[in-house]
Amino acid sequence: MDPFFSIEVETLSGALDQIDYFAVLKLTAAATPGEIRAAYHRESRLYHPDRYAAVEDTNLRNHVGRIYRRINEAWTVLRDDARRCKYAADITGPDRAGKLRFTEDDEAEVKEARKRRAAEQDGQTPNGRKFFAAAQADAQAGRWEAAERNLRLALAYEPANERFKELLSQAEKNRPKQDFRIK
Amino acid sequence: MSDDIAVGIDLGTSYSAVATVLSGKPEVLTNEWGERTHASVVSFLEDGTVLVGNSAKRNIITNAENTIYSAKRLIGRFFFSDEVKKAQAVMPYLIVEGPNNGVRVQVGEKVLAIPEVSALVLKEMKAIAETALGREVRRAVITCPAYFNDNQRQATKDAGRIAGLEVLRIINEPTAAALAYGFGKDVSQRICVYDLGGGTFDVSILEIGRDVFEVIATAGDTYLGGDDFDDRIMAWLADDFQAAHGIDLRRNKFCLQMLKEAGEKAKIEVGRNGQATIHVEGICQTPDGKVLDLSQSLGADAFNRMVMDLVQRTFKVCDEALQSARMTASDIDAVILVGAPTRLPIVRQSVRHYFQKDPMAGIDPDEVVAQGAAIQAAALTNRGAAVSGQVSYLLDVTPLTLRVGTAGGWAEAIIEKNTPIPIEKSKTFTTSRDGQDRVRIRVYQGESKRADECEFLGEFEFSGFRVGYRGDVQIQVTFEIDSNGIVNVSASDSETGQKASTTIRLSSGLSETDILSAADRNAEVVLSGHAAS
Repeated sequence: MDPFFSIEVETLSGALDQIDYFAVLKLTAAATPGEIRAAYHRESRLYHPDRYAAVEDTNLRNHVGRIYRRINEAWTVLRDDARRCKYAADITGPDRAGKLRFTEDDEAEVKEARKRRAAEQDGQTPNGRKFFAAAQADAQAGRWEAAERNLRLALAYEPANERFKELLSQAEKNRPKQDFRIK
Repeated sequence: MSDDIAVGIDLGTSYSAVATVLSGKPEVLTNEWGERTHASVVSFLEDGTVLVGNSAKRNIITNAENTIYSAKRLIGRFFFSDEVKKAQAVMPYLIVEGPNNGVRVQVGEKVLAIPEVSALVLKEMKAIAETALGREVRRAVITCPAYFNDNQRQATKDAGRIAGLEVLRIINEPTAAALAYGFGKDVSQRICVYDLGGGTFDVSILEIGRDVFEVIATAGDTYLGGDDFDDRIMAWLADDFQAAHGIDLRRNKFCLQMLKEAGEKAKIEVGRNGQATIHVEGICQTPDGKVLDLSQSLGADAFNRMVMDLVQRTFKVCDEALQSARMTASDIDAVILVGAPTRLPIVRQSVRHYFQKDPMAGIDPDEVVAQGAAIQAAALTNRGAAVSGQVSYLLDVTPLTLRVGTAGGWAEAIIEKNTPIPIEKSKTFTTSRDGQDRVRIRVYQGESKRADECEFLGEFEFSGFRVGYRGDVQIQVTFEIDSNGIVNVSASDSETGQKASTTIRLSSGLSETDILSAADRNAEVVLSGHAAS
């Protein structure tokens, strides 16, 4: 066993609570999802407990186990876009020291934000939701004129909803260009 | 010398197998008669010896009360669980309640815990390996279905210890199968392991690149397997027989057992030949003493109609796994079939249709799991790996969400399913009364928010922390899932960092002393049918 490696493992294991998840995976905060995945695999090759299973030194095995659990923790947070965004914002904030590990409260916040966004997107008012749902059904069936009418109604209730506007522009684009019906 | 070898054991519901890596290649070890798979059946003979394997299987009918099979269906369960009630109705052997809501089987005067029964199967596997290799074997990797919960994994590990084995790892059957196929030749591939066993169905989706086997998602149904196919044939035979003779064969355990055998045989035959003839002589007697035979024939079409809904159910589980991996069936590069029921043409055709791909061939679906376990066993005993690196790394996930019970019968998620393991997560609990000196938490595993719809793992009690006003004392509880998928819980006082003592108040598992005394008993058991053991 390389003595330098033992020292390295011990130092890293001791420092785990002072470094952030990006540092655990030896990344910068600007890493892309592809890089994060590659880093996870790279660190797994180095610190996977199976690699040291036959090593007699229990101390080393414990340290490796501790590091690898943290690597997995880092990966579960960083692989998810919503969690990563929140985490990256947290650790650059004033409360960095208290935010190095993603806690249950952070998790709850992410979930709450996700729910809120979904609710916002489907409409916040009963009538907005109703017309938007109808418009989506129309759009799916290719009835773009009907979709446009429903979206305008939905927007009357929620003029600021981005998702409504997006579908409306799509409906306007797709609806038949020449109006051949008798007015 | 015995320390440098480790075997892989596929401890199955109906059949088990043992393999090891010999000069770099996994090999299934055969017994004296050249059999490669061995029925997971334990038969207690009158002379006090124990018969395990294919010869014990014949005793299911002739020595029904003293022959235990399908023990895996009961391992790690509470006595009050549905699975145990179901088993009590169909099994000819006696299932009784043990201490702490545990399950025991009674054979004559003897009362055995389920891990003790499995340990006898493992003892046989160990004996087979020792005879084949001509040396002592002490270490093993044992497989379990991906969907096994903590209790079941712990009980499987206990079984290994009782059999005198050092259990290096409990690994998931589908992951083992992927290891056996040894992908990971530079290109990154997404593979699906479709594991239809005797009792459970598991699907795992893995992404394999170079030397890393990453499990992306896993899903399963613990109540779906080849046995259910047999049940369909059984029900059809019994209904027919009742219509013809007015006798319900299901009312008698012995008739039922013969019926089950006939069903299993018919299933295999219809799968192989497209046609099965069922003939059981003297299955029962009419009240006026006439002996009746059971005669039927089963065609492939009729069989397919009988089981189509079961096959369809497997694809619901596939859908779930794919959705969890954020993939569709067309993203899958290869499909591996595991388990003997996947030999049925109906299953193969349906898999081909679902994935639009021919499943992988090359390794026997009965042996693939044992081979993969052997590969993992070799990796875990490879001393050179620390310096030179392993051939491959297995990045596995937890199949079930770990939860704690909260007020009102709810269960709050702590570690989500499909989280990579080993992992730990902490949660802070606080006291609810002034001067409270102990905190109890109930731990569950499952996908429902309602505690009663999840599998109950156990109740932990923490004490030995500071005593203060309510809400004043904060206890940080750390939940850890290790590489075996086994849950460990520990607690400490958030402020002082002092470790709280933990007691497991309720668990179906065996205590340390139980295991040790069971191991002694196991060592004394003489396995019959071996020249020397």
